[in-house]
Amino acid sequence: MRPRQNSQGRQRAAIQSNQLQLGRGRRPDYWLLIWCAALLSIGLIVVYAISPALAAAHHVNANYYVGKQLLAIGLSLVAFAFTAHVPLQWWRQAYKPLLVIAAIATFLALLMPVNPSYPAHRWVRLGSFSFQSVELVKFAILLWLAGFLAKRRQEGIIHSRQQTLKPILYALAIVSVVVVGVQSDLGSAGVMVAMMATMAFVAGLPMRRILLISTVVLVGLVLAVSATPYRRTRLESFLHPEANCQDSGYQACQALIAVGSGGIIGLGLGSSVQAYGYLPEAANDSIFAIYAEKFGFIGSVILLGVFIAFFARLKSIAERLPDDFSRLMVIGVLAWLSVQTMINIGAMLGLLPLKGITLPFISYGGTSVVFAAAAVGLAYQASRYAAPRPPRVSVAEPSARPGLRDTTVRRPI
Amino acid sequence: MAPQNKNEFSQAVKRIRVWYALLVLVLAVFTVRLFYVQIIRYDHYRAAALSDQLKQYEIPATRGTISAHDGDSVLPIVLNQQLYTLYADPLFVKNRQAAADKLAPIVGGDAAKYAELMNAKKSRYVVLAKKLSDQQQKAIAQLKLPGIGTVAQDFRTYPQGSLASQVLGFVNDEGQGKYGVEQALNNRLKGKPGQLKAITDANGVPLAASRDNTRVAPKNGDDLVLTIDLALQQQLEGIVAQGVKDTKATAASALIMDLHTGAVKAMGNAPTYDPGQYFKVDDASLFQNAAVAHPIEVGSSMKALTTAAALDQGVIKPDTTYYDPSFWIVDQFRITNIEEDGGAGTRDLNQLLNLSLNTGATWELMQMGGGQINDKARNAWHDYLANRYMFGKPTGIEQGYESPGYVPAPADNGAGIDLTYANTAFGQAMTATPVQMAAALSAVLNGGTYYQPRLLDSVVDGNGQSHQVAPKVVKRGVVSAKTGQALIPMMQYVVQHHNFSPGFDQNTYTVGGKTGTAQIAKPGGGYYDNLFNGTYVGFVGGDQPQYVIVVFVYKPTNGGYAGTAAAQPLFGKLAHLLINDSYIMPKRQ
Repeated sequence: MRPRQNSQGRQRAAIQSNQLQLGRGRRPDYWLLIWCAALLSIGLIVVYAISPALAAAHHVNANYYVGKQLLAIGLSLVAFAFTAHVPLQWWRQAYKPLLVIAAIATFLALLMPVNPSYPAHRWVRLGSFSFQSVELVKFAILLWLAGFLAKRRQEGIIHSRQQTLKPILYALAIVSVVVVGVQSDLGSAGVMVAMMATMAFVAGLPMRRILLISTVVLVGLVLAVSATPYRRTRLESFLHPEANCQDSGYQACQALIAVGSGGIIGLGLGSSVQAYGYLPEAANDSIFAIYAEKFGFIGSVILLGVFIAFFARLKSIAERLPDDFSRLMVIGVLAWLSVQTMINIGAMLGLLPLKGITLPFISYGGTSVVFAAAAVGLAYQASRYAAPRPPRVSVAEPSARPGLRDTTVRRPI
Repeated sequence: MAPQNKNEFSQAVKRIRVWYALLVLVLAVFTVRLFYVQIIRYDHYRAAALSDQLKQYEIPATRGTISAHDGDSVLPIVLNQQLYTLYADPLFVKNRQAAADKLAPIVGGDAAKYAELMNAKKSRYVVLAKKLSDQQQKAIAQLKLPGIGTVAQDFRTYPQGSLASQVLGFVNDEGQGKYGVEQALNNRLKGKPGQLKAITDANGVPLAASRDNTRVAPKNGDDLVLTIDLALQQQLEGIVAQGVKDTKATAASALIMDLHTGAVKAMGNAPTYDPGQYFKVDDASLFQNAAVAHPIEVGSSMKALTTAAALDQGVIKPDTTYYDPSFWIVDQFRITNIEEDGGAGTRDLNQLLNLSLNTGATWELMQMGGGQINDKARNAWHDYLANRYMFGKPTGIEQGYESPGYVPAPADNGAGIDLTYANTAFGQAMTATPVQMAAALSAVLNGGTYYQPRLLDSVVDGNGQSHQVAPKVVKRGVVSAKTGQALIPMMQYVVQHHNFSPGFDQNTYTVGGKTGTAQIAKPGGGYYDNLFNGTYVGFVGGDQPQYVIVVFVYKPTNGGYAGTAAAQPLFGKLAHLLINDSYIMPKRQ
């Protein structure tokens, strides 16, 4: 146990805490890759099956969408390989340039021309290359927060209102203003807030602080919804979907119709009808409904099972990691991907309002799959340092008290 | 290892597990929800899906063609031609001006107009142009403009031009037959549309084979063959048109009916119109076939039927003579004759008809009442008018807008019913159409059988099977056969004592007739002093009458009595036409 630190000591500790305590690398978690590949394959099959319908509607070659999705998957592999091989130590330091780049991208998105009737500044277009800046922001925040919380833990001031809570609240405020206010992307903001809250929760922030954050977020959410007419109508149509089937609730209704008409075994891979112009965003946000229409209840439960299996690997890796930064990072990846999955599927099942975010690895769309793969790459690299067995957690365990500062964790024996 | 360390680590793991448990819980809720939506509520959502996706299309049936006789063969007079209607769904048209600029050179017309049409708000179906040809349709299809489409539609074409147009009628843009045969036999002609139920995309384009697709083939309309003889029809229309010109009349109608079957061989009016250009006609009355739709007070032509009724009742005999006082006072009103009729004297029935004595027809009506116009006379005459000659109700000929005409009720209405009935004896105070007159006279001449006047000769059904339409007997024993045989020489007498050029050789042919110069009622009551309709009913045949010819000339202004000066010459021409073109077998010498 370290002696109580003065401010100089804290600086020294900060330098030390930047060194990861990972130990020797082992065999990485191949199952994480297998489940991830399974999800990507399912997504590709669904995109392939509805590609003709989409192509007909947009007057492009029948294989245009499959081609683009294959390209996105190729890019994802590159991103995965990159994040899986560049050492975590480096990634821990990378948040600063990443945040700068994310800020620039967000600023660039602001300058891009948008549809005046729906002014959401989400896309950055550079020549034929375009991506959603918010994905980069997510990635950067993930790395920053994991490093920040790990550092605070090592410094033993994880409970500090000034040193820990305040920066997180600032970050939340910036994210909210930029992503919700400027980009009109409440869904992505929700994913980020949930990711940050989960990481803070696992990092050991006191429950009261977590509740405080939740309250702030809730108030912000209410403000965001009540301030914008289209969110109000979306909420309205969520609460009364059948009454708004012809206008504001159209997508929600068509999504439920797609899911419901799948029945037990589904209409079959080639037999989706809702993709033919009925269900908007059939390949992107609504792809789960199309999947459920094609493969029915059995197929849908299998897909949820694959997601669970995939999330279970991330959770298992996080549990077995000896190091604060990498554990919090993997938890961040888990929260990011799982919350996004829940928001997306929840909306398709009529349990949540529509948010306009993609289903990780399944949805058509380059940016989301590339950054999701990059995030998985980080977790994959971290998995090499995970202990072989999950730790035993004693039943009668004293709750964490303030004042515990030692954050150097060794693998349990 | 320090216990705090261990604790803190445990706390992190514990929180991970708590959080993960929440995640699993949410996904479990999703599974339950999936079970509810996909299994419990399956029927509801399946029905909702089909109500959106399953669309019913009508597969239009091909409308039947119409043909008519030409000698021994049958020639089409109404055919179909597939043309295309160009429409836009403004919701899917991306660049309206660009689309309009591309369409205008193909369709013709002004691009700005099309762009404006496509700007229609709220409408999902805007018709841009009609009656486009096959080539135009193909050129438009090649543009592949989103939201622009064509639908095939059958349009009528008329290989014989305007011939028989008022008999035929036309088909409007909604595919409904209007006027004439097209209206009367619309249901037979239009057939029964088939149905395609298909799963479609959101734009309504059927998707490839689906187990929910069903198709019911359309049942095409029947092809009709009319009783009309095209050569007769063409000449009749020419004669009628010339007659209107010569007599400076407003219009004229004529028809030729086979008095043994009720089949109309030719029927036409002047003026007429071109059915291929019906949409250019301003005056809708031009669409009417006046020969069935325009009843008038027929005037003295009626006296032939009055005489037949009196003969049939046995109240007069063919050789009966009577003293004609040259006027009767009925209900304080003086019934007189025209000046040329020569005053009072003893008259026979030939003279009655030839001189067209109103007093004579009135006398016949009086005989029906035992010497005076009374309830018995009125009821007896009304029985003939309404129940035997079938006036006052439509004949049922296959024509749109047939008019029933009018016969006054016989009961004493306290308003000069006797005078009214005296008037009906010579064809005033009641109205009839040419086809009603022809059918009634046919019944008298053919031995007493009233055939429904008809235009439909045979029907070719969808399988190519031809079905002959039998003459329809409406009533037998209208008058006795003897009555008809008695009337024939009287009407021949009239023809012989009127001027025809050329005249008729009664030794070779049997030609009889009766003129009518009908007063025209003013809208406010009373009659015009200087306006008359000329009418003529007559027959022509060999040993026996074969065809009845009825001519109405409306408001001729060529001088003389309208019946003699305007209608009679047309009858003469038509009778000669039948004789000269060998429609009639001459008498066996």
